[in-house]
Amino acid sequence: MNSMNSIVDDLKGKFDIINVVFPDDMQMAVDVDKNDVHTVLSYLKTIGYKQLSLMSGVDWIKENEFEVVFIVFNWDNGIHILLRTRLDRENPVFRTITGIYPGAQYYERDIHEFFGIEFEGNPMSYKDLFLELWDEMPPMRKDFDPLAYSQDKFPERKYESQFIPEVGVIK
Amino acid sequence: MFNIVEDTQKTREDTRKTWEKIADYFRANSIWMKWYCTGCGAMEMPPTMTSRFDMEQLGMGPMATPRQADVLLITGYLSAKTLRRVIYSYEQMQDPKYVIGFGSCTLNGGIYFDSYATMTRLDHYIPVDLYIAGCMPRPEAIMNAFDTLIAMIKKGEAKGWKHYQDNYEWYNANQIHSLKEVRVKDEFHE
Repeated sequence: MNSMNSIVDDLKGKFDIINVVFPDDMQMAVDVDKNDVHTVLSYLKTIGYKQLSLMSGVDWIKENEFEVVFIVFNWDNGIHILLRTRLDRENPVFRTITGIYPGAQYYERDIHEFFGIEFEGNPMSYKDLFLELWDEMPPMRKDFDPLAYSQDKFPERKYESQFIPEVGVIK
Repeated sequence: MFNIVEDTQKTREDTRKTWEKIADYFRANSIWMKWYCTGCGAMEMPPTMTSRFDMEQLGMGPMATPRQADVLLITGYLSAKTLRRVIYSYEQMQDPKYVIGFGSCTLNGGIYFDSYATMTRLDHYIPVDLYIAGCMPRPEAIMNAFDTLIAMIKKGEAKGWKHYQDNYEWYNANQIHSLKEVRVKDEFHE
């Protein structure tokens, strides 16, 4: 816990940190502004957080915001740092981090495909990754209706009787 | 003159049927299976193939490529992306070919019935001779299904591949409706 506190003090002294929470031992979550993400990430990489374990998106539809989450890991002290930032939902544009962590290439393609977040400076992020020939709203947005899409695209099997009441309840 | 032509055609038809029956007998006793590991169902195949249940007692063996296989086993849920590859594999197989749909996902979508990415019924896109219900079917159920398939081939009932040839427009229209384009265009094919 001492090493965790020293990292928090270090980060707070250098950057504008909005909030810090500790979900578990050896884990901490740090909220920063979207303009600070690149400097914080490159600083973390220089002090040993060399592995980008995960990069993902969250749709906060009531607050009209997207959240981008980065998890970086240090193999020397075993600490995970979860870095979070919020983007405007109407115009979700973010600068690519592939210059800092080249492994983010596929994560950025994934997030662009499933949330529609654009990554400036990464032309590869516009290519299809999992969904081929997709023409609808990005499917991980909360206002996308998967059932309606499925019923429209993939016809269902019709059954003559849906449910037999006598068999349904086992006492 | 007219009668003679008709008779010859009838004789030819009978001969063809007889040969088909003989061929079916031999087909049923030597089946090579390609299983497409699309979902969690692939996990049930190793115990079916190896010494515990021993698929080879039925005269069946696993095959590495679709071009040399007789049976295509679709094990589990199918995403839209995978379905394109499955149609490719199915078209590569040589006649006669048989398809087994494995698990409830291929039957009616299973627990993924409302997913934007997975098919809800397989027989809309390729002809399915036999379904194995369950989530997941145990190896006993798979062995039972193979027994049934062998009996069906011997009786000449497993005619999905002929149905596909006769109704290709219907199958192709369904494929286009769900996938827009069957042709695979990904970065590995550029």
